[in-house]
Amino acid sequence: MTFRSQRTTDHRAERILAMLARYQPVPGVYDEILDEKGEPREHWKPVLATLADLGPRELEKRFSGADRYMRDSGVYYRVYDDPKSGERAWPLAHLPLVIAPDEWKALSEGLRERAELLEIVLKDLFGPADLVRDGLVPGATIAGSPDFLRPLVGTPPRGGSHLLYYAVDVGRGPDGRWWVLGDRAQAPSGAGYALQNRLAMARSLPEIYRNLPVERLAGFFQSLRSEFSSHAAATNSRVAVLTPGPLNETYFEHAFLARYLGFLLAEGADLTVRDDTLYVRTVSGLKKLEMVWRRLDADFADPLELNPRSQLGVAGLVHAIRSGKVTLANALGSGVLEARSLLAFLPSVARARLGRDLAIPHVATWWCGQPLERGAVIADLESFVIAPAFTQTIPGLLDDGAVLASSLSPEHRLRLAEEIRLRGSDFVAQEVVKLSTMPVWNDGYLEPRPFILRLFLARVGDGWEVMPGGFCRIGDRVDARAVTMQRDGRSADVCVLAEGPVAETTLLPTPDKIELRRSTSSLPSRAADNLFWLARYMERAEGTLRLLRALGDQVGSGETTGPDMLKRLVDLLVTWEALPKDTVLTEPQAVAAAVLHGRAPGGLLSLARAAHNAASVIRDRFSPDAWKTINDMVHLAEGDKRMEAGALDRVETGLRLAAVFSGLTQENMNQLIGWRFLKIGKRIERALAICRFGRNFGDARSGTAGLDLLLALADSQITYRRRYVMIAARAPVLDLVVLDPNNPRSVAFQVERIADHLAHLPDHAADGRLNVPEKLIARTRVDLQTADAHTLDGRQILAIEQRLMAISDEVSERYFTHRDGANPVGAAASDLF
Amino acid sequence: MRYQVRQVTDYSYARPVVFAQHVLRIVPVDRPGQTVSHCDITITPSPAMRRDDTDFFGNRRIFLDFDHPHRALTIEMRADITVAGTSRPLPGMDPPWERVRETAFASADMSPSSPVHALFPSTYVPRDPMIRAYASASFPPGRPVLEAAFDLAKRIRDDFTYAPGATDTSTPAAKAFAMRRGVCQDFTHIMISGLRGLGLPAAYVSGFLRTIPPAGKPRLEGADATHAWVSLWCGPELGWWGLDPTNGLIVGEDHIVLAIGRDFVDVAPNGGVVIAAGDHDIAVAVDVKPLGA
Repeated sequence: MTFRSQRTTDHRAERILAMLARYQPVPGVYDEILDEKGEPREHWKPVLATLADLGPRELEKRFSGADRYMRDSGVYYRVYDDPKSGERAWPLAHLPLVIAPDEWKALSEGLRERAELLEIVLKDLFGPADLVRDGLVPGATIAGSPDFLRPLVGTPPRGGSHLLYYAVDVGRGPDGRWWVLGDRAQAPSGAGYALQNRLAMARSLPEIYRNLPVERLAGFFQSLRSEFSSHAAATNSRVAVLTPGPLNETYFEHAFLARYLGFLLAEGADLTVRDDTLYVRTVSGLKKLEMVWRRLDADFADPLELNPRSQLGVAGLVHAIRSGKVTLANALGSGVLEARSLLAFLPSVARARLGRDLAIPHVATWWCGQPLERGAVIADLESFVIAPAFTQTIPGLLDDGAVLASSLSPEHRLRLAEEIRLRGSDFVAQEVVKLSTMPVWNDGYLEPRPFILRLFLARVGDGWEVMPGGFCRIGDRVDARAVTMQRDGRSADVCVLAEGPVAETTLLPTPDKIELRRSTSSLPSRAADNLFWLARYMERAEGTLRLLRALGDQVGSGETTGPDMLKRLVDLLVTWEALPKDTVLTEPQAVAAAVLHGRAPGGLLSLARAAHNAASVIRDRFSPDAWKTINDMVHLAEGDKRMEAGALDRVETGLRLAAVFSGLTQENMNQLIGWRFLKIGKRIERALAICRFGRNFGDARSGTAGLDLLLALADSQITYRRRYVMIAARAPVLDLVVLDPNNPRSVAFQVERIADHLAHLPDHAADGRLNVPEKLIARTRVDLQTADAHTLDGRQILAIEQRLMAISDEVSERYFTHRDGANPVGAAASDLF
Repeated sequence: MRYQVRQVTDYSYARPVVFAQHVLRIVPVDRPGQTVSHCDITITPSPAMRRDDTDFFGNRRIFLDFDHPHRALTIEMRADITVAGTSRPLPGMDPPWERVRETAFASADMSPSSPVHALFPSTYVPRDPMIRAYASASFPPGRPVLEAAFDLAKRIRDDFTYAPGATDTSTPAAKAFAMRRGVCQDFTHIMISGLRGLGLPAAYVSGFLRTIPPAGKPRLEGADATHAWVSLWCGPELGWWGLDPTNGLIVGEDHIVLAIGRDFVDVAPNGGVVIAAGDHDIAVAVDVKPLGA
């Protein structure tokens, strides 16, 4: 036994050595894994041992498993300046950063202290501004921040705290000390990505997460959820996550955290302020809100009192805040803490207000608004990092934000110096920090890379809780002074080791403070609106594809009625705006290609894109597979193979995708209120299509060929053949596709389903009185029940069609727009003066 | 000088407006050198909600909600305002412009009248090296700040064409600067941009001009509409001074202050969110009658 064990150990040591064969720490830089003597540090040894035991081949397999997990969970981030507005797959580095227990203790305590100080600073700046009057902070270093929001001055936040959720970027210097590189107080991102990284890594390397005492992240989120919910206790309302929307770079995280924590994901358009109270528009009317986790920059939060050009905010929000009716995490204006100029003065503020130096120092910073500092910086520009004092960039001068002055061309440096001379107030100089390095996996070997660690703190009660983990961004190059996820780089999980064994925590609902969610009553109107239209667009796409299939069949079947039917199909496609008005095509492949890939508003390309737009807003509400199907539909229509040949095959692919989407929404979606709106949209659109097919091909002049076509379009040939052993005749065909409530493709069937869905919508009167959409559908039902197939004509069908459109309008009015004293959302244009 | 001011704003909408939230900054208030003895606001139709407050810079704001469909909205303001003449500082009383800049950077004042609020780029006045280069010709080293700024105001009047319609309320300073044309709002933004580019605190003032000039004096441009000009901080002793780049002069008792801010955004007389399907049209009429001293 002993002998074997010895051999294992030797083998392991060899493998560790092999992994580290190319690991060369940069001289003068602290390395996380190797000490000064080149020996692995104690807290990394178990991780290295685990990696060595698994071996390179197994590891590669595990790592691609982690990548697959990321893809499957749909983790992405968006790159703003990508011409294709691309969503990027999440770049996961496969080895975690490991932090030893004692080190973590000191680090997290230091950060709590810093959070406390920053709260003091915010209270002062938006209150008496004693820090400025006492000469500790020059007024200009505050006034220059776009987040010094003057409408909020003199408005203490409800509950008293500005800062409820705070993130901080830290790095380790050559001396082994952790340094604060910057504060994130506006709307810090990363915690959700950190959680995703953890989920992916724990699945792919369970040996590490099971065998080592790795602190769990769930407890932190549990605390955060309880704390945020406690701010909404008065009205027992949900916590809303206010997002700028799907175009935001970190929208995925907003949606993910909302779902994970059971919060309501809302955009500004979902919310409204009446008098002094904030509400969310839902399909059951306006619901109060009193706690908002803001992921929107403060300036955009209220077009009435802040940036008037914002279309992302809520008019009147500042007034609701001033009236003490709503808590924001973080308070509007907290972003002022992100001004780098403030860093130059925080040390003196700490000494004056806390009576001591901060335990974790931050990178040395000089504000160039002061003549002495300015002179010194200009004289020795090349030895500093120069950064905008208040903003991310300064166009034309610091286009990428902070920059090592020595890396600039002499001409650029000269311009920079001149600018600092004139407007020093806009610049800070910072010392150059050499970040420590950690290992990344590269082709079977470990290699050192610099990283920045973002840590997260939540205010809990009177104190601060630090997430025991973090979001680690790894640079591709060794000078990592300016790593952000907008550029190249990967992110890694952060394993904080506990001193003792770690208790299992999960984020299942806890009995304290948190009410059970009634998803049905708080479905935001905009989500319902988009589900409704998503279904309509997808169903419309299916109808269009069915027309194209019928077109192909006309040729394929060799039936003699060809030319006339072809022309009428093309005419109908023109009427549907699937083809431009002046279309003269009759060759089916050409027609199909034009409808699939053309730009007409009723063509597949437009419909698929419209469906995609609607879906992108409500991505968190249905399965990734359904989302993928919509994407596939867009790709099909956008495809690079736009030639005529094969167009009819692509029609078949499209019909299969439509069927998949339909099946997924039927089987994989919670059959809650949102699902009902999706179904109503689908049923209305389908009924409309059948009505139109019926009017066009079921009229007296169409004859057998038309009726056959109608059966095909309504996908009812088989039923017909089974029921009537004869050629298509007008009355039985119309009975089957319009009046028969048992045929799932008939108009009557759609109407029955719509009636059922409407009866399940929220404000259905308890005493049995019908609301407007219900009255309309009831009349439609009766009309269909009492109609006679032998006398049914185009006029009657048109009347049903018009009633269906009225139902669509009434549903929109009643559940999406809240016309009664409310403003319409979405469709109507919003004018800003 | 005592004035009677009347301002009428007419909104007309192509389609009925179902819901609208407005914020108005049309009420003059007492300020150093200015007394408002009387002010009436009439709003037709009457709003569902009206709330008045004072913003950070001391401007009066009226918030209005309308929740009934309407196709027109009229807001009328009538006020009696007395403006005291102030004597211009004697040459040499104003400090060199560089010293003003350093004093402003170092200011330990966060009150609304502090220069720090007027030092930085803002929505309509982003950094603009071209405008700064233009402005710096008036600012050789050591020149007294007000003298230099007066020179700049006169240059803008001379170099730019007053051309109503060439720009609108959303035109950025850079565009008007490139065209060398515009109205008071554009010239004011250009001058502010130049001054701030040099590190000097410059604010935006909206207000009125007397409509009929005193006998023997020319009628000033911008008298039949809401006017705009620059307020420059000239150091702690002299404080803020008005400069009108549209007319190339230092502000005296012909100018009536309505609102002060960092740029047009802070003082926009009519802001808000209107939910409407169609177009809208706004017409503003201003009448300023001198009532004697």
